[in-house]
Amino acid sequence: MTTTNQAPVHPRHRLDGHLLNPVRFSIMAALDRATTLGFREVRDAVEVTDSALSKQVALLETAGYVAVGKAFTGKTPRTSLTVTREGRTAWRAHLAALQEIADPS
Amino acid sequence: MDNQNSISPAEARTLLDTADRLSRRAHESARWPYVTFILALGTVTSFGTLGMGLTTGSAFGLTYVGTLAAFFALIVFFAVSIRGRAAFARSRRWTTYIASWFVTYGAAIAVVAWAHGSVLWSGITSGAILAVTMACASYEARR
Repeated sequence: MTTTNQAPVHPRHRLDGHLLNPVRFSIMAALDRATTLGFREVRDAVEVTDSALSKQVALLETAGYVAVGKAFTGKTPRTSLTVTREGRTAWRAHLAALQEIADPS
Repeated sequence: MDNQNSISPAEARTLLDTADRLSRRAHESARWPYVTFILALGTVTSFGTLGMGLTTGSAFGLTYVGTLAAFFALIVFFAVSIRGRAAFARSRRWTTYIASWFVTYGAAIAVVAWAHGSVLWSGITSGAILAVTMACASYEARR
């Protein structure tokens, strides 16, 4: 009979690398309850410039955490951001790790 | 990205508070026209179909025109209040809310057309519209 003695893993190792960036963290937080928001609504909530938001949204989209939708209202383009199932799972795991760090007991 | 960054318990609590605050603020600023719209849609179409199902002649005509007028006024309100914003525009949740309303509304219109004057069926279908839309609005308001 063998026993394995594994050292407990600190919850910081379970933090999601994509979500350590404060802007990406805020984007995911803004989308958490609403699920889908317009680009401008996310920009206003996160309080960053359009270009900074676009850059971080592209990274989240590449990671599969956010889906970007494009539509037109008349001639005006409308961009919507939707948190994906994968993104929600990662976000929940990230929050759980933070919760463990905040309250280790 | 470096996962080895040490985050202190105090920093983690701050991040959790920030996430919760941001999430609530973003949702609250975007959802009120939608919650108002679905509540009003349910009320207008529920009482409208009930009235149409139980009246005849000029009373029916007045109820029909009144319901249509209220419905179009509601569409105008909604279009104006969400102008420039795309929140929930393609969300699965809102598609489900509207689909649920549409199914009950279709049933109520079917009663108006084929079981006109039936208090029981008019009550059931119009009540279903009200119940479904109130449930959707309550669910969204509590998120």
